[in-house]
Amino acid sequence: MSEHNSEKAEPNLTPLLDMVFQLITFFMLVINFKGASLDLSLKLPVLGSARPLERTGKLEPLLLNIDAEGRVTVQGKKIDVEQFITREARFLKNQLQILGTPIENGELPVPVIVRADRAAPFHLVNHILKICQDQGYRQFSLSAMTREEKH
Amino acid sequence: MQRSHSQRRRRRKRDQGSVEMNLAAMLDMAFQLLTFFILTFRPAPIEGQLSLNLPPPVPQTNVEASVKGGEGIDNVLAMETLHLHVVANDRGDVTELRVELNPIVQGRLDEGNIQRLDQKLHSMFAVKQIPFDRIQIAVDGRLRYGELMKIIDVCHRQKLPDGSAMQKISFSEVDVGATSTAK
Repeated sequence: MSEHNSEKAEPNLTPLLDMVFQLITFFMLVINFKGASLDLSLKLPVLGSARPLERTGKLEPLLLNIDAEGRVTVQGKKIDVEQFITREARFLKNQLQILGTPIENGELPVPVIVRADRAAPFHLVNHILKICQDQGYRQFSLSAMTREEKH
Repeated sequence: MQRSHSQRRRRRKRDQGSVEMNLAAMLDMAFQLLTFFILTFRPAPIEGQLSLNLPPPVPQTNVEASVKGGEGIDNVLAMETLHLHVVANDRGDVTELRVELNPIVQGRLDEGNIQRLDQKLHSMFAVKQIPFDRIQIAVDGRLRYGELMKIIDVCHRQKLPDGSAMQKISFSEVDVGATSTAK
């Protein structure tokens, strides 16, 4: 009689399923959707005083990854920086016009996030900054690690 | 007749309540989802930003040309903008750093030299009669970006008379040939 019962016994999977769903919820919450736009191979400068960017406004900032040779990557693709920034600035001006936001003194109210490799020579980074300035960008956020990463 | 009908319905309800779902299939799917999330999990790097307002560099010769013999105005301009000059070697390390014309750092930009620069800038910003609101850094084009960021960091730490952090920092690239002749 007891042997017959033990054959039919089924474990209660509900607590296990609960735990798995909790784990899934955790991973879904901490998933990094913006990771694709960041070039994680870059070695950023390390500065203790760097602070997280405070987002204001609805418009997305322009993010540029600059490697040690001055090549610019956006969303994992190498781009022609001059063409790209000109196109982005034109698109942004159109958007601002639609939103009815005035452009004061030709200054675009969107920050440029510069993620440049610490080994990049200044003249290469400066060249890219100049292109941004020529298109009307004035606010720049220079990315840095808050502490040295362990590899 | 009516009673037997309601009894039958009650019995059917009780039977339906005791039906148990097979959770194994759902658990399989949940484990697959969990595996996917674990494998694709990449924590975001801890990044900070240095926010700067970078107006396009204005050639100083133009500023002086617009002032018709006004020495006083020239002095006012000199009072508001603090000039730093950074010279680098071929490897991109700092070899010399001058605040206005005073050499503050000679050699590599280590912790001691960074502290010396910070103290110098702090003492200059503490003088209330000379309200600096902008720093212009003349940078050797060969300087590594990481080294420049250390200098910008020190500049960014300086407090303006209203207590806010220094944000108006502009760069100008110095030609290597011009630097060597200036030396």
